[in-house]
Amino acid sequence: MRMKSALAAAAIVALAAGCGSGGGDKGGSAAGKPGEPVKLNFLSLAWQKESVAANKQIVDEWNKANPTIQVTYVQGSWDNVNDQLVTQFAGGTAPDVIHNDSPALSGFASDGYLLDLSDKLPAELKSDIPQKSWDTVTFDDGKGKQGVYGVPFLQESQVIIANKKLLDGAGVRIPTPDNPWTWDEFSAAAKKMTKGDAFGVAWPMKSPVNKSLNLALNFGGTFFQTVDGKTTVKVGPEEKEVLQRIHDQLYKDKSADPAALGQGTADPLPAFYAGKFALLPAGVYLRQQVAEQAPKGFEWVTLPPLKGTTTDQGAVSQTLSVAQDSKHPDEALKFISYFLNPTNQAKLAKGDWLLPTSVKAAADPSMTTKENGWDVATASAKNLVVAPFLKVNGFDEWKSKVATPALQEYFANKISIDDVAKKLVDDGNKVLERYQR
Amino acid sequence: MTATATRPAPPTPPARHARRRRFSRQTREMWVLMLPALVPVLLFSVGPLLYGIALAFTDARNTRNHETSFVGLENLGDLLTAEDFWSSFRIGMIWAVSVTGLQFLAALGLALLLNQDLRFRGVARVLAVVPWAMPPVVIGLMWKLVYHPDAGILNSVLGTHVNWLADFSLALPAIIVVGVWTGMPQTTVVLLAGLQNVPRELYEAVEVDGAGRWRKFWNITLPQLKPVIVAITSLDFVWNINQFGLVYVLTQGGPGGQTRLPMLFAYEEAFRYRFAGYASMLGLAMAVVVLAALGLYLWRQMREAK
Repeated sequence: MRMKSALAAAAIVALAAGCGSGGGDKGGSAAGKPGEPVKLNFLSLAWQKESVAANKQIVDEWNKANPTIQVTYVQGSWDNVNDQLVTQFAGGTAPDVIHNDSPALSGFASDGYLLDLSDKLPAELKSDIPQKSWDTVTFDDGKGKQGVYGVPFLQESQVIIANKKLLDGAGVRIPTPDNPWTWDEFSAAAKKMTKGDAFGVAWPMKSPVNKSLNLALNFGGTFFQTVDGKTTVKVGPEEKEVLQRIHDQLYKDKSADPAALGQGTADPLPAFYAGKFALLPAGVYLRQQVAEQAPKGFEWVTLPPLKGTTTDQGAVSQTLSVAQDSKHPDEALKFISYFLNPTNQAKLAKGDWLLPTSVKAAADPSMTTKENGWDVATASAKNLVVAPFLKVNGFDEWKSKVATPALQEYFANKISIDDVAKKLVDDGNKVLERYQR
Repeated sequence: MTATATRPAPPTPPARHARRRRFSRQTREMWVLMLPALVPVLLFSVGPLLYGIALAFTDARNTRNHETSFVGLENLGDLLTAEDFWSSFRIGMIWAVSVTGLQFLAALGLALLLNQDLRFRGVARVLAVVPWAMPPVVIGLMWKLVYHPDAGILNSVLGTHVNWLADFSLALPAIIVVGVWTGMPQTTVVLLAGLQNVPRELYEAVEVDGAGRWRKFWNITLPQLKPVIVAITSLDFVWNINQFGLVYVLTQGGPGGQTRLPMLFAYEEAFRYRFAGYASMLGLAMAVVVLAALGLYLWRQMREAK
């Protein structure tokens, strides 16, 4: 009997010790005894070499200037950040400052994992970023109240990267930010540039959803509508316009390179350098790879976004947020304000080849130089409006389960435009329903 | 204890009393000795399992401001009417059955070969076990490079330009090949061990009767191996249907859900869409299906063996 109780006691002690050290992990970084510096973890998703360097440099500068608030740089990856955050949030071990993008914030905000920053933002930061960018991070908190759940800092617009020799050779009008190509002009130009074994354009559509939805706004296509608080999918003539035009280039005009269709955005670049096609619609960040990898003597230009009935494009932004469970939200916000001041934003934008949200950073000479198309890219920021899908609860599931396969099949010419519309709406509404119970 | 039970006991009451006390003391000691081993099992295995089963009957979500409530069999109802689930289930079955089957055939061939008196047999046996030493994630990354559309050796050997893992109809066969390759060593080693236990005399006896190679294989090797075959194929089946890491690295369930095995589906539901209750029900349903399939298979094999 004595042996039994002794063993039981030993087991309990061991267990308690085990739990203690497990929980201590979390407490250790946040306890902050008086006199000890506050410690913050900063999860960064920077991945391009220049951008990681810029991030680390800013963190180092901050740590030197603020001995009482020490920030640890934690490297994350876009591939699995949301899976990682779901488990970390549930386990209470999330980093204090979180780098992510606005589509992901909507879900985390309504789940209550992120801190509402609306009353805490310093005036300087708030006024430096235009309201339409703040709109990309304003979400419902899951109980009907709107809040600001991140600070937007980098934005991406869709431009066209063109082979200068083929463009000049075709004798088409060169578009400018003030007078961009219409979709009709774009189709005509692509047809003209389709000669011999060279195609006019390439549409890498391995991940077709965000690209199609952002461009669909050119003709007012929103894909979602909210009536009486219930969100449903809508695919009407406005939504079909851009889908149909891309499909026409592939199968009617035959001015789009079919080899690029199943590829990811950066995959067709070798063929682009080889002159196999002239125009590559892509996000502004792709300029970096072209600038760094293109063979010597390859000349390229950046063309401004296309015009349908408008030049509007759906915008999402990269963001920094504070975890609801962070023990030092005020210090975290101080760090964010420093991290995203105009000077640093210009640095980050240059590192990632994206557009800064800060008005002052966008006016930086390095953001408006003609070199590498920065002038065209920065000018395209004026076309960005909040992407309607940002506010849709369940968009992620709709995208991966319904929209991605449906659009892939449509662009592979396996189903018709009416089939794809029906799939997006019928199957899509079933998915959205789960989130509106 | 068996000895105690079978010994003809004198039915005198005091003796029985004494024996019961000794018996209970034995039990107590057994429990005390088992406790250190039992605690981790209860804490890290049985506990989470029961928690998972309980979750399956709630509408739990991985969120901070959601009140979890008991919903009974609603998750099961949703599951059985969801097309996604059935397509995932179908893919899981195709995957598990074909990988297990092909694995068995390939491993049997290899084991027979390695059982011959070949030169460099030792080296060959070591080489056959190499995939076993690799973690599934490393295998996944390696095969991803093999299948790479531009830089992969498969395309350069075949002279094709196929994006194997992104093609709607090729992705599943492509990962099945990887699955077979991955699981072959275990199966081969177990079958080889089984082959070496087949008594020589049996072969000698049928050789006297003038049996050929095929007859020997069919009438001696296979029946002798049967218990081993049953054991290893059932284990392989369970292992394959629960496969996660390999496919997660290779395709993440894509393209368009063509390789979304049930476990990937459950993972997506829980950690991507945050429906923890629904995902638990999915895990539970799969466990029941596997147990039922396995039970039926083993029961039939046992009955035949008798």
